[in-house]
Amino acid sequence: MTNIEFDELKEIWAAQENRPHYVIDQNALQARIQSKMTGVLRHTDISEWLLIFVNLVAGCILLTLNPFQSGANIFMYVETTWMFATVAYIVISRIERIKASRRFDRSIHGDLNYAISVANYRVRLSAIILWNSLPMGAIMVLSGWEAGKFLSVGSVILISYFFAIYAGRKGLGQSKRRKRELLVLREKLEADS
Amino acid sequence: MSEKEQLDILEEWLRLHKGLIFKVVRAYTTEDPGDLFQEIIVQVWRSIPAYRHEAAVTTWLYRIALNTAIKWTKKEKKYSGTEPLDNLQHLLQESRSPMDERLSWLYGEISKLDEIDRSITLLLLEGFSYKEMSAILGISESNVGVKINRIKKQLIAKSKNYDQHRI
Repeated sequence: MTNIEFDELKEIWAAQENRPHYVIDQNALQARIQSKMTGVLRHTDISEWLLIFVNLVAGCILLTLNPFQSGANIFMYVETTWMFATVAYIVISRIERIKASRRFDRSIHGDLNYAISVANYRVRLSAIILWNSLPMGAIMVLSGWEAGKFLSVGSVILISYFFAIYAGRKGLGQSKRRKRELLVLREKLEADS
Repeated sequence: MSEKEQLDILEEWLRLHKGLIFKVVRAYTTEDPGDLFQEIIVQVWRSIPAYRHEAAVTTWLYRIALNTAIKWTKKEKKYSGTEPLDNLQHLLQESRSPMDERLSWLYGEISKLDEIDRSITLLLLEGFSYKEMSAILGISESNVGVKINRIKKQLIAKSKNYDQHRI
């Protein structure tokens, strides 16, 4: 009885085969796809490249200017090293992330696992952005202190620090929410086993 | 594979199998089908170099389309869509021929299921075997069987209510 009834549902389903639900605007589709294909950098890519770029440029500027400044001190060298170390860490993590994408199979379960690993990576990246501002701020304050410009440097750092905390917390919150959503989906898929 | 070859394959797949993608889009959204459709097409395009002819094209397309639809959320859209909604709505237009009332009811019931059960129901109605579904979903055949029994019971119980109301 059950099979016959379900077969009826299948017949209803099969009847739509020759009657498509939508009509595609080919020109609009082509334009949209082309624009997507040429600009496929997504959230993670943008965050990575932004972090690499900012740290690399700032590190290079400090490295170039430091030896010629009379107020150059040990903290500025520490700051430069920290920036390059951050760049190296992000580049290595990025390579590992891209390699990891090839390890998962193409099933929905495999794809969800991959999406969760990307979400984990995003959480880690957002946490780096957030917590990186703490030692960076401390190094810059000490560096300003050493150079006798504590007040001017300190106020700039304080403002930048609040911005960094705000952006970092927002990014971290979004990444964690996305990860939770994916974990719920995986739980649903694995349920009933 | 050159970009042109990749685009040619995409066009060919779209010409032959767009109905399949429409079904997934219809089952997962009613508000802005153009956006999900576009996201699926982009994912299909990206997947083309990885296609190894081990599975039928329809199986491959279902796999990509369902993967995309399951994870497709408002947040996801925020990162991928940059054009205003007005432009997106022109991408897909509802067909003028009215949908069969029973089919419309079936889609309504499918849309009430959670994301995972929706994908299983679509595969089931398309006639995929347990083995194929197990490969697409990445879970065991016995797990697929348990889920299918539950979904079938739900749909059949609801279809009885539908018949009673109609009478």
